[in-house]
Amino acid sequence: MKKILKKLLTEDTVFPDMTANTKEGIIVELIERLAANRKLKNKRAALKAVMARENKMSTGMENGIAIPHGKSDEITELVAAIGRTSHGVDFNSMDKKPSRIFIMTLSPQSHSGPHLQFLAEVSKLLKDTETREKLLNANSSRDILDILL
Amino acid sequence: MILRRFFILFGLFLFSFSCVFASDHTSGNDIGHLMTTLVLQLAIIVIAARIFGLIFSRYLKQPRVLGELVAGMVIGPYALGAFSIPILNQPLFPKIDAVLPISPELYGLAVVASIVLLFLAGLETDLPTFLKFSGIGSLVGLGGVVLSFFLGDMVAVLLLPGVDSFMSPTALFLGTLSTATSVGITARILSEKRKLSSPEGVTILAGAVLDDVIGIIILAIVVGITKISHSGGQVEWGKIAFIAIKAFGFWLILTILGILFAKKISKGLKWLRSNDAMAGVALGIALFLSGLAEMAGLAMIIGAYVVGLSLSQTDMADELRERLYGVYQFLVPVFFCVMGMMVDFSLLGSIFIFGLIYTACAIVGKIVGCGIPAFLAGFNIKGALRIGAGMLPRGEVTLIVASIGLSSGAIGQDMFGVAIMTLLIASIIAPPLLIKSFDGGNGLRNQKLAREDEIGCRIQLNFPSVHISDFIRMRILQAFNNEDFFVHRLNLNSQIYHIKKEDVFVTLIQKNRGIELTTDIDNKPLIKLIVAEEILELKDLLEGVKDLDSPDGMCEDLVYGIFSEDKK
Repeated sequence: MKKILKKLLTEDTVFPDMTANTKEGIIVELIERLAANRKLKNKRAALKAVMARENKMSTGMENGIAIPHGKSDEITELVAAIGRTSHGVDFNSMDKKPSRIFIMTLSPQSHSGPHLQFLAEVSKLLKDTETREKLLNANSSRDILDILL
Repeated sequence: MILRRFFILFGLFLFSFSCVFASDHTSGNDIGHLMTTLVLQLAIIVIAARIFGLIFSRYLKQPRVLGELVAGMVIGPYALGAFSIPILNQPLFPKIDAVLPISPELYGLAVVASIVLLFLAGLETDLPTFLKFSGIGSLVGLGGVVLSFFLGDMVAVLLLPGVDSFMSPTALFLGTLSTATSVGITARILSEKRKLSSPEGVTILAGAVLDDVIGIIILAIVVGITKISHSGGQVEWGKIAFIAIKAFGFWLILTILGILFAKKISKGLKWLRSNDAMAGVALGIALFLSGLAEMAGLAMIIGAYVVGLSLSQTDMADELRERLYGVYQFLVPVFFCVMGMMVDFSLLGSIFIFGLIYTACAIVGKIVGCGIPAFLAGFNIKGALRIGAGMLPRGEVTLIVASIGLSSGAIGQDMFGVAIMTLLIASIIAPPLLIKSFDGGNGLRNQKLAREDEIGCRIQLNFPSVHISDFIRMRILQAFNNEDFFVHRLNLNSQIYHIKKEDVFVTLIQKNRGIELTTDIDNKPLIKLIVAEEILELKDLLEGVKDLDSPDGMCEDLVYGIFSEDKK
């Protein structure tokens, strides 16, 4: 199943140097960076979809991980991204701890593709404390990809 | 009352068809006449098989296939079908004076049906479960096959005049007939009692896979020996070993190639981008390999079974089964009905006692042959009896073996009747025995086995109403579909779904207000995410309902005027 990760993650979609300090800031930054790398066309639709999902229930999970995601008809194909900050961000997470690793998926509404399978695969890897530590200490996008793929 | 209506309808059909038949009969067109006969025969077979199947399943609480078999006996050339219809000037099912009492066209149809049946049986094989429990399953399957083959062969040698050797084709066929288990009935009962994933359930399923494989290989060997024997050749151990190696080799090579290339074949089929085309081509491959198997001197069903077995490991297996369901629904009742037509009642009297002894041996062969290895492997007496009872039902493979034996001349009409008798008795006594055997406690002496069953993960959810449960179930299935999974409903009478994509396999069961999902522990995060997302959708729906302006007013607008004159 790692092939889903291989298919969706490239150095263009992994951002180890995120700077935003708020939940919305992190989401906007991930979307902006994806758009800058030509992975996403409709930034507005993507932001609207992710925020709509966050308003239903926060995607801040446990152990410093958040999985913001959204679906919209204006998104043409499944896109994934991974962001990391050097500081903790309040993502209204389940364990109330600040988040540092952000895994985002954006997918079409009608035929989403394996976006939840992608999130599930990443979650399996990051369940392991050692892998999480490695990811937090990785120096570059390439290093993060080497840990995950 | 229902039976009376059926016979009136049946008579009317015969009458109307015979009028048509009579007009064509005078045309002198041979092929036209042949085809008209075939179509009329098929019409009666399809209708009778369906009605008898319905009577057996609905009123007699017996498997439908037994009704279809009995339908064949009733309408066949040895019963109603033998009566000459006045306008027709001949019977609809005249007895053909050849090895088989039915026409080659009808038999051909039954052969195609047997290929479809075995292809689908291969597709249904749960190879991972088999491999997981292959140790105990192999012992159970092997024990049942060896003992029932030995007893079947021995009874023939001891009791049948003219059969004086264990290697005689008749004795070999009776041995082979005794080995085949049809686990479909057992699987349905265990599924209803929710015992399919119990240690006994998975052992039965794994045992049945091995049982099928060994049974089919034994058949290939027996067919080979019979061919040598009938061509006047001397059956020598060297030749038997050669046939055995050829049969096993053919099966093994094809299976290994099939499993190795299954993903590539599946990729090729998906390239067609049409599920119907995909199913058609897959069936074509099964037919092709069946022909190859026959050309290699083996039974056709080996080829069909191997193709099914190989594709069973791909995520498209359920989709193929679903697409071929229509073909199955049409052909399989025809197959069982045609098999029933070959039973010669006049011979049953003389072999009735032999038939009873043979059936008793076939039952003992399975219960003891499967039960002893199960007991030795850690089940207690109760568990061993459950496994033995689960391996009892006989079905399509028995009939296919019997028809091959009949067509090759290895067995006569009388022994064909014995095969049908065994099938009927074993299949009738197995369900109550199995249900009764599952009453009471644990079937294990060795608790280590029980833990093997608990590797998976189960998520259970309960909702306040069936409507909400329905909504969530539909949403979850749609979500899996959107994630490129194949979703397959097991049958129309229950809400049980198999959800597959590559190596991920999930079972969803909805029972009233509850939904249960089971899968491997590895897939737990995915299931949790999907279910959580869909529960959030429910929250959205409820919010949306609150926003509805005036549902009462909307309803009033809709129904207003339906009991008054339309004033436009």
